[in-house]
Amino acid sequence: MKWGFLPKDTGKPVYLAVNSDESEPATFKDRYILVRDPHMLIEGIIICSYAIGSHDTYIYIRGEYTTQVKVLQAAIDEAYDAGYLGDKVAGHDFKLNVTVHRGAGAYVCGEETALLESIEGKKGQPRSKPPFPAVAGLYDSPTIINNVQSIASLPFIIENGADAYRKYGTEKSPGTHLFGISGHVEKPGMYELPLGLPLLEVIDKVAGGVWKGRKLKGIIPGGSSTPVLTPEEAKTVTLDYESMAEHKTMFGSGGIVVLDETVDMVKLVQNLIYFYHHESCGQCTPCREGLGWMLKIINKIVAGKGRLSDVELLRELCDNIEMKTVCVLSAACTMPVRSYLDKFRHEFEACVAGENGSKQETEQEER
Amino acid sequence: MAETIKLFVNGCEVEVEAGKNLIDAIGAVGIEIPHLCYHPALGADGNCRMCLVGIEDGRPPLVPACKTQAVEGMKVLLDAEHIKKIQKDVLELELINHPTDCPICDQAGECSLQDYYMTYGREESRMNVDQVKKAKKLDFGCGVVHDQERCVVCGRCVRFCRQITKTGELGIVNRTDSARVTIFPGRPLDNRYALNVVDLCPVGAMTSADFRFKQRVWFLKKNRSICHGCSRGCNITVDHNREKDSDDMIYRFRPLLNEQVNGYFMCDEGRLSYHGENENRLSEARLSKTPLSFDDAVTAALREIEKHDDILFLLSPNSTLEQMMAIRSFAEKIDATLSGFSDGYIKKGDGDDYLIQDDKSANRAGLELLGIDSSKEAFETALKKADLLLNFNNDLLLAYSETELKKLLKDTRVIGLSSHETACFQQANLLLPVASFTEYGGSIINCDSILQFFAKAVSKNSEPVEICELISLLGGPFHDRTQLWEELKKNCELLSNVDPDNIPPAGLKLTDSEADNVPA
Repeated sequence: MKWGFLPKDTGKPVYLAVNSDESEPATFKDRYILVRDPHMLIEGIIICSYAIGSHDTYIYIRGEYTTQVKVLQAAIDEAYDAGYLGDKVAGHDFKLNVTVHRGAGAYVCGEETALLESIEGKKGQPRSKPPFPAVAGLYDSPTIINNVQSIASLPFIIENGADAYRKYGTEKSPGTHLFGISGHVEKPGMYELPLGLPLLEVIDKVAGGVWKGRKLKGIIPGGSSTPVLTPEEAKTVTLDYESMAEHKTMFGSGGIVVLDETVDMVKLVQNLIYFYHHESCGQCTPCREGLGWMLKIINKIVAGKGRLSDVELLRELCDNIEMKTVCVLSAACTMPVRSYLDKFRHEFEACVAGENGSKQETEQEER
Repeated sequence: MAETIKLFVNGCEVEVEAGKNLIDAIGAVGIEIPHLCYHPALGADGNCRMCLVGIEDGRPPLVPACKTQAVEGMKVLLDAEHIKKIQKDVLELELINHPTDCPICDQAGECSLQDYYMTYGREESRMNVDQVKKAKKLDFGCGVVHDQERCVVCGRCVRFCRQITKTGELGIVNRTDSARVTIFPGRPLDNRYALNVVDLCPVGAMTSADFRFKQRVWFLKKNRSICHGCSRGCNITVDHNREKDSDDMIYRFRPLLNEQVNGYFMCDEGRLSYHGENENRLSEARLSKTPLSFDDAVTAALREIEKHDDILFLLSPNSTLEQMMAIRSFAEKIDATLSGFSDGYIKKGDGDDYLIQDDKSANRAGLELLGIDSSKEAFETALKKADLLLNFNNDLLLAYSETELKKLLKDTRVIGLSSHETACFQQANLLLPVASFTEYGGSIINCDSILQFFAKAVSKNSEPVEICELISLLGGPFHDRTQLWEELKKNCELLSNVDPDNIPPAGLKLTDSEADNVPA
């Protein structure tokens, strides 16, 4: 865990920042925790704060989560009233204050250092690392940043022991995870599952399979920034970190999107680039300028004015931009885009050849 | 020299100064790492991504050189194909939305983007979609004009206003390729160092309303000098050009790095003081307002000096040590009284805790060092007694009103040696034009007792005579530099160990302690 990186005895306060700026498209696990069981999160915060010696917690919450903010704040107020937060936590000589900080709608603020900048009242732009937040984070003090789900899993582990948690999942990916399954399935929803289950089995048995009896075209395994899996690849994928890495994609946020045969991959890529371009903070040159360029190229391709060279340029730009920036936002765009360009190349070629998905479009309209 | 370390660049061992980042450390031995956002005075930001280099020691494959400390034994990769490709790629991305209209851009010729393109890019443009349109010709105040389309959003200007002037007028608004540098509505730049953002800007996004479109920079000749705007003595580059059929004119002053005097910057007032070197110059000698030849004026001055017994010499606190010595020894020879009265040059409360000083003269410390009396009482007493005043370019109207001065001078005859057409010399009986500071060289001592030497920067068509030279024409005993320095050493303890021909470019701190003066 990140906690081990905390320097000791710096004389500075230690902060805990809980990342609930859940903005990754297709991801909706934290909102469930925030609304259904905010007390579990608060309990986790108390455990974590006690462990790292922190007396101030900031919950950075996505600004659009208005209901979640209300529920969470009410739960925090309850915890203060019940004496679980405040000057004497549960009667012990331990002080803990929890502050909810609402974001203003920037995806990049889910990046941990941009999140800190935003709490500090600055423009949400990622910092370069090192120094890492554990050493110099919020207000230049040691800071631990964890996701809502990670913090919320603490009470179970503390109560039942690590072995009880390890009972679920695989050796390297222990425990359970919340999977938000959306897209073209019969039963979309939020499912808590142990790690390591076969992906296709989960889609078929848990989410009811691809809807309307259609054929599977692809699966986004963990939020929009993870490279897409073809049905062929998906056969051997299990829902854990190692298997995803073996298949050159990522576990990501657990937001699984099922794409059926009607999906126009060219338009999907357009949508993807539009989102990441819009959310680029504008700090680093490659991301700031490059994603805008990519968007214009894909727009041109979708408009039927593209050439094969434009598809090639788009593919090359993915390589030129990726990993050249302070944070991974650019990679969050280029990695999936590259996967679509490589795995569904024929669709882009068809699009520039003038046979753009008109057939599919009519199909969709009929629907 | 500071502690050094050895590291490897492209496999070759180089010895560099310890404690610096890779750009500065390796740059100091002549190996360039391209960068736009990093500036040594502003620190690393890491947003341009031009300086990504490879380090072969297991750390992440790419690191920004601006944020990476040079350490012993480090293996830096600069010329590997993948690094060169990154430089090329980032450059391409910098350029896609940049209006490549260099021929009409004021920065052309001193633009990092242009230089880097020639060194690292040289690729055909692949940009075949519309460029991002942004605002142009924005008046940011303080004479700074901004072009958002040319901007590479490196943020140097923003960081300057936050870190150096601490005024924070500039910010970057919007995200993605709509990000742009701007001022807050109705809150333009409002600090006395604002024009430094023009120098800091690596591209043509920040231009000076005063300088833009006046000259192409490659025509400008560049000479070092020292600003005479105040006693700080900021080191400057004098950019000047003699256009066909006209005189050599100065087009701008730019700050020149001197860590112990002014760092990388200078104030706007000093920067724009070049206008004074071009304009309102005294071009002819005059006897009772009637022009006469310089030679005749010298003869007339000689006659005046011979005719009068009680002569008062008034020095300017802007004179060089050499000029002061020449004037002092001349005064001693003809038994004239000497005054350095120049209270008018001090603007109480005008200075700040950064560069600007209250004292608007360049060498008051020199007056003190040479023991020249600068008190008002002594000057006024001497003036009452004197029947001839020789004023060496000291603008008395800074200290007195016109009527006060008239009353004070009564019927004392005045010989003015002036570089400018100042009202102070309107009534002078005899007026001789002399050179101004960009037209001669000499030594001055700044507010921190740092002795600095500056050389002549500009040669005018009709070379105005320098004061030391004029003194020798009027019968002064010493005029050449070697002689004057021998006298200076004899007369000033502090200067006794100074080698006038080897004053370091960064200046020499004059202290009572010998140890401090051993050149590093």
